[in-house]
Amino acid sequence: MTTRTRSRTRTRTTPAARFGLGVAVAALLVFALFPVYWMVSTALDPKALTRGADLLPSGVSFEHFTFAFEKGNFGTYLLNSAIVGFGTILGAALLSLFAAVAVARFKFRFRTSVLLMILIVQMVPLEALVIPLFIQMRDYDLLESLLGLSIVYIALSLPFAIWTLRGFVATVPKEVEEAAYIDGASWFRMFRSVLLPLVAPGLVATSIFAFITAWNEFVFAYTFMKSSDNYTAAVGIFQFFGENSTAWGPVMASSTLVTVPVMIFFMIVHRRLGSGLAAGAVKG
Amino acid sequence: MKDTLTRGGPDPQTRRPPPVQPPAPDTPARRRKRLITRTRPWLLLAPALLVLAGLLLWPMIQVGKLSLQEYEVRFGGGVGTYIGLDNYAELVSSELLWKTVLPNTAFFAFACVGLTVALGTLVALLLNRLGTTWRLICSLAIMAAWAMPAVTGTYVWIWLFQPGDGLFSHLAEGLGLIDPETTNWFTQRLPFYAIATLNVVHHGFPFVAITVLAGLLTIPKELYEAGMIDGANAWQRFWQITVPTIRPVFLVVTILSTIWDFKVFTQIFLMPGGDGSNPDVFNLGVYSYIEAFAENDYGTGAAAAVLLTLLLLAITIVYIRTLFRQGEEDL
Repeated sequence: MTTRTRSRTRTRTTPAARFGLGVAVAALLVFALFPVYWMVSTALDPKALTRGADLLPSGVSFEHFTFAFEKGNFGTYLLNSAIVGFGTILGAALLSLFAAVAVARFKFRFRTSVLLMILIVQMVPLEALVIPLFIQMRDYDLLESLLGLSIVYIALSLPFAIWTLRGFVATVPKEVEEAAYIDGASWFRMFRSVLLPLVAPGLVATSIFAFITAWNEFVFAYTFMKSSDNYTAAVGIFQFFGENSTAWGPVMASSTLVTVPVMIFFMIVHRRLGSGLAAGAVKG
Repeated sequence: MKDTLTRGGPDPQTRRPPPVQPPAPDTPARRRKRLITRTRPWLLLAPALLVLAGLLLWPMIQVGKLSLQEYEVRFGGGVGTYIGLDNYAELVSSELLWKTVLPNTAFFAFACVGLTVALGTLVALLLNRLGTTWRLICSLAIMAAWAMPAVTGTYVWIWLFQPGDGLFSHLAEGLGLIDPETTNWFTQRLPFYAIATLNVVHHGFPFVAITVLAGLLTIPKELYEAGMIDGANAWQRFWQITVPTIRPVFLVVTILSTIWDFKVFTQIFLMPGGDGSNPDVFNLGVYSYIEAFAENDYGTGAAAAVLLTLLLLAITIVYIRTLFRQGEEDL
C-alpha cells in the first residue's frame, strides 16, 4: 500500500511500486473470485465432502449436477424461476417504459413528487412487506402461484426500472420526435416507431435487471411457495441441507446453475446501467 | 403556447409552434385534444403507479394496521382485533430486542458499511492506477463478486467455514488454532456475524469501488500536480484533495450501504441457526420474520417491521437531502 502511492505519475513507476501494485491486484483477484472458484470446483469434485483444504478438485465429474436434476428435481425449479423471471420482464418492461416516458417527456404537476415517491419506495425493507403481502396473497388465493410471485417481483423491480429507463428516454433528442409529428404521425405512432426503437437498448438492460431481481429473490419465494413443486431455484437449493449433514456437492452444483446465468447477464448490462447504478437505485 | 399544447406535443415549453397555425376558436374537438394532452402523462403512469400502490404502498399501510392488532390465523383467513400499542409495548419491553436484536442490527450494519466503503475506496484507488488491460480484468473480477446472488454467495461462505469439512476449518486446524471437534463458528454471535460481515462486504464492495472510481476519474490531474509541487505526500493528497473533491460520492455510497446493510435478511436467515433456532443471532429483519411466520405472532412481527421501516426511512430522508443539496439529481 505504501509503495504504490509513492509516485502518481505513471511514467516514473519504481520497481517497488510495480511490485506493490502487482501484490494488490493479486489480492483483489483472489478475494473477488475465490468464492466463485470454490463453488464451481466443489460442484465438479466427485469427492466434494472430503475435499478439506485441497485447492484443486480431486477430479472433474458432473455427478453432482446429475444428482441435482434427477434426485433434487432441480430442472423444475429452474423452469419455475425462468417462468417467473420472464413474467417479471414482461410486466416490468411494459409498465416502466410507459412510466419513464411520462416522467422524462412530460411536464406535469406532482411530477417531482412521483419521482421522489419512486425513490423512497424502494428503500422499504422486504421483511416489512412480506407479512402483509403474504396475508393479501392468501386472501386472493395467489400463494403457491407463479403468477402471484411474478406480480410481487414486478412491483419490486419497477422503481429501479423506471428510474433507469427515464435516463434512456431523456437522451433521445426531442427533434427526432418533432420530425415524426411534422410527418403527420400521431403520438402513439411516434411512440411506437420512433421512441421505442431508440430506447430499445435501455429496455433490454432494464429487463435483464428485472430478471435478475426475480431470479435471485429469496424471502417471498420461500414464504409463498410451500409445496416443493412450486419452488424457485433460489429456494430449491435449500432441500439439499440435511438435519445433520449437508450434501455440499449438489448444493454447490445447484448454486453454480443459479449463479452462472446471473453473472453472464450482469456482465452484459453493467456498462449500460452505469449511470443508473450510481444514482443509487440498485438493491443490494 | 395554447396552440402548441393542443397539437399533442409532449413538451409544450420547448416545442416550436408548427409553421401553419391559424388562431382557431376553442372548439369542442380542440378542448378534447387538450384534455388528452393533459391526461396523457397520468395515463402512462397509471399502470405503474397502480402496481406500486397495490403491492408496496398498501402493504405498508397494512403492516402499520397489523402492528396495532392481535391477529389470529383461522381456517380460511385471519381475524384482527385492535389492541392499541400493546405490540409496541411488548416489543420495547423485551430484553431480546435491546440486548440482542438491536445491537446485532446496528453493529453489524456499521461494521459492514465501514469495511465496504474502506475496501471499495482502496479498490477504486487501485483501479485508478492500473493500465487499461488490468483495469478491465480487475473490473470483471469484481463484477463477478457483485453478480453473485445473495443466496448462493451465502451458501459458499457457509461451506468455506463449515465445521470439520470446510476449507477455513481445515486451515485453522492445520495452524493449531481450533479444535475441529468442538469448534462451530456458527453457534456464537461474534464469529457468526464476522462471517456474515465477510459475506456482505464481499457482495457490497464492488458497487462502492465502481462508483468511487467514476468519481476519481472526474478529478483533474492538475490538482494532484499542484499538491505534489507543494510537497504533499500520498496520504495528504488523498485526504486533502481526493476526499473533499468527491465528498458527495462518498456520502452517497455510505448512505446507500447503510440502508442496504440495515435490512440484510437473506444472508443471515440462510446461515446455520439464522432461521430462528438461535435467538442470539437475530437481527431486526429476521426477528420480525420469525415472530410473524414461526411464532404466528403477526402483530409483534409487524411492529418490528414498522420499527425497521422507520429506521430506514430516517436514513432515506438524509440520503434524499444529500442528493438534492449536491444538485446531482436533476429531477
